[in-house]
Amino acid sequence: MFREIAITAFIITLVVLALHCIAFPANKKRCPLGDALRRWSPVSILRKIVHLFTLLLLQQKISLLGVLKKLLFLLALLCFMVLAITGFYPLLVMDKHIYGYFVMVHATFAPVFAICVSVLAILWARNHRFNRGDWPLLQRIIERVTLRKLSAEEAIDENVSIAQKITFWLIIFLSLPLILSIVSSMFPLFGTYWQELLLAAHRWTALVFAIIAVIYLYLVIRTQLK
Amino acid sequence: MKKGLKVVSVLLYLSAVLSPDLSGAANDSEKLLGDVSDGSRAASHHLIYLYPENQDGKKGSKIAPDAKPLLPFSTRWTCGECHSYNTVSSGWHFNAVDVNVPPGRPAQPWIYVDPTIATQIPLFYRPLPGTYKPEQVGLTSRRFTKLFGRHTPGGGAGELASKEPEQVVREYISGKLEINCMTCHNGHPGQDQGSIDGYAVQVVRENFRWAAAASTELAAVRGSAEFMPDTYDPFMPEPPENKRLVPPTITYKENIFEEDNKVFFDIVRKVPAERCYFCHSNLYLVEKETEKWSSDEDVHLMAGLTCVDCHRNGIGHNITRGYEGETSVSTNPLVTTSSCEGCHLGEKSSVGPEAGRLGAPVPKHPGIPPVHFEKLSCTACHSGPWPAQNTYLAKTSRAHRLGTINVNKSPDALPHIVSPVFAKQADGKMAPHKLLWPAFWGALKDKNVTPIDLEIVKQTAGKILAKEKLPLSGDWPKLTTEHIIEGLKSLASEKSVEGKPVYIAGGKLYFLDETGKLNQEENHPAAQPYMWSIAHDVRPAAQSLGARGCGDCHSTDAPFFFGSVAVDTPIAAERQAVKKMVGFQDIDAFYAWAFAFTFVFRPWLKVIALGCCALIAVVLLLYALKALASVVKVLAERD
Repeated sequence: MFREIAITAFIITLVVLALHCIAFPANKKRCPLGDALRRWSPVSILRKIVHLFTLLLLQQKISLLGVLKKLLFLLALLCFMVLAITGFYPLLVMDKHIYGYFVMVHATFAPVFAICVSVLAILWARNHRFNRGDWPLLQRIIERVTLRKLSAEEAIDENVSIAQKITFWLIIFLSLPLILSIVSSMFPLFGTYWQELLLAAHRWTALVFAIIAVIYLYLVIRTQLK
Repeated sequence: MKKGLKVVSVLLYLSAVLSPDLSGAANDSEKLLGDVSDGSRAASHHLIYLYPENQDGKKGSKIAPDAKPLLPFSTRWTCGECHSYNTVSSGWHFNAVDVNVPPGRPAQPWIYVDPTIATQIPLFYRPLPGTYKPEQVGLTSRRFTKLFGRHTPGGGAGELASKEPEQVVREYISGKLEINCMTCHNGHPGQDQGSIDGYAVQVVRENFRWAAAASTELAAVRGSAEFMPDTYDPFMPEPPENKRLVPPTITYKENIFEEDNKVFFDIVRKVPAERCYFCHSNLYLVEKETEKWSSDEDVHLMAGLTCVDCHRNGIGHNITRGYEGETSVSTNPLVTTSSCEGCHLGEKSSVGPEAGRLGAPVPKHPGIPPVHFEKLSCTACHSGPWPAQNTYLAKTSRAHRLGTINVNKSPDALPHIVSPVFAKQADGKMAPHKLLWPAFWGALKDKNVTPIDLEIVKQTAGKILAKEKLPLSGDWPKLTTEHIIEGLKSLASEKSVEGKPVYIAGGKLYFLDETGKLNQEENHPAAQPYMWSIAHDVRPAAQSLGARGCGDCHSTDAPFFFGSVAVDTPIAAERQAVKKMVGFQDIDAFYAWAFAFTFVFRPWLKVIALGCCALIAVVLLLYALKALASVVKVLAERD
């Protein structure tokens, strides 16, 4: 059941993102994906993919902290790719539980990813915090209820959309059960029944985490295109 | 006249033996008194008449203490009065010769050992890959019974009719080795399987007809049918001309016959463990001087269970062997719940709770990832000796004649069985095994190897080795490649050998090429070791693999993966050869090592992961509190 749901969820996510990109281009020029659809030459497609990748190379400040943020992000991205492939490929493609070298690579990159996520959480939390400017509808409701005019704060970072903030916090939040579900199974605390539950929790959390991470990366690229 | 009578008797005996229905029941569908229980768990009182087998092979007259000749009681006709003998003989201990019975999981074979011809070869009537039928090496059923009947409860090959005329005559003298019900069901401490006049000795003396009676406390048997001339008639016995030959005679103990000549049998339904131990004892030579008192018994026995609490059967004696997957070959209704999982965990689809039968603890297995239960049998962690860097030599009752007289107690006595060897079973799970490296002379034809008749080998290759001194320890003689070359040449000149003579030993197949040079092949199927899973002795949970942590198996020097399995061979120059345990597990050796190596960093992984979780939790908490503060501010109608 998990395999079917996972495959379906990934396909739906990619299709929705593609349609969104076409329907709502990120910049005044046409969406890169739209260009690729119009121009099918392999060179053109390759150029666009490289361009998309470069968009993930976020602007950095020249300071040491800026470099660290960027490196951590790229490392987290790499780890995410490796973990997603080693975690999902055996199950979704080969219809087998993760085994052999997949397990070893997965377990090797997992702590690195955990470190990256936790440090990025600290470094980017402030930039992704919600403010009143993110919730105009909520602001209007509160003003109606309290009959007070709320002063609108300026967004800390105009480059971070509300959707990006939501996906960011979801990623941070989901990383907790994702990590804890597998680490707690390594201690002699839980019997076989709970071990299977923890494994299932890790699997399902990873699926949701991966989908949200893909959405977050899409939003980051869109922000870079603006 | 007497010879004529003897011939008539033999013919009548033959006709009786070959006739289809010999059971106490008129037919198999007719239930006898003792075939169906009335439900009472009380012991039945067996005060019964004794019946012998007569010269026609049928039921004789009741035995009285003053009968002449005094014959041994026959279990077929005595016990068979109330318990269908044919039904019993279809049970697992007796049906090895029935080709229609599925063999199930590989089991311990009978191992023919002869150091004078550098041979240890696994034999089995059951069609198990890696074993050979006794007739393939020239052993008739009678000869097989004489060699191995000592550690059987009778029946099986012991009741197969001989085909050769000279064997038929001997069979008339010796009788057949009937099922010895008393082997298991005699509750009297006087049951004698292995002492100087016990069951095993009677079998060796070919006193098959007398063996069951001799094993009980009710009678004593002297003499030997083996040395009786072909003209000897046990039903009209006359002392042989050679006074030094003692014919088999039975003497019933005093006062066992009641007034009406009934005899009391102390019969138990629940077979004591000691009865099973006679055939099913194991000795792992952990130390050079290991004795049975220095190793612990099975935890189930220590907990108060007996063998038959798990290994049960009805009148059909279709005893459960207790391994996973036995349901595919056994119709015993308890087979599912008699395995490790069945008893300790129960069946998930059962209507009522089945876990914890007989007070079995339900294991939690905390901290063990479920993948272990897909890849390992229960016995992998819980059974057999604790694995060491090198495998141990093991002795078993059936292979080494344990419990009988004149046993070679040397740790090096053949056959050499090594254990534990962690290997994959047919069901894909890894389990501990005992392992035997076959050594025998064979003939290669169309890529298949069949063993050569032992008598031919003794007459040819055996003469080459006859010059070598056999060690008193019962170990191999010092075989060299020259011996093998001479032996193969000798066999090649033997016309009755069909195919190219080869010698199998130490996992290799040796043969002579066209130039007469000795070559060897390493991966020939006939040279592969024969393995059988072990289930006992079960260690307690605190002594199971993994009790001290993952490193019991997942470390770079763990015996489970990286232990050395001794490669037993008679060839002196190759005695030190070993094979890594991982070679038996269908796993890449480098992968096993790399995976074990990652466990060095496992504690760091846990610390890092938990530390990161703590950081993330703090960040979430901080901003959640900030969000709450904002909400509180708004609700307080303040900016």
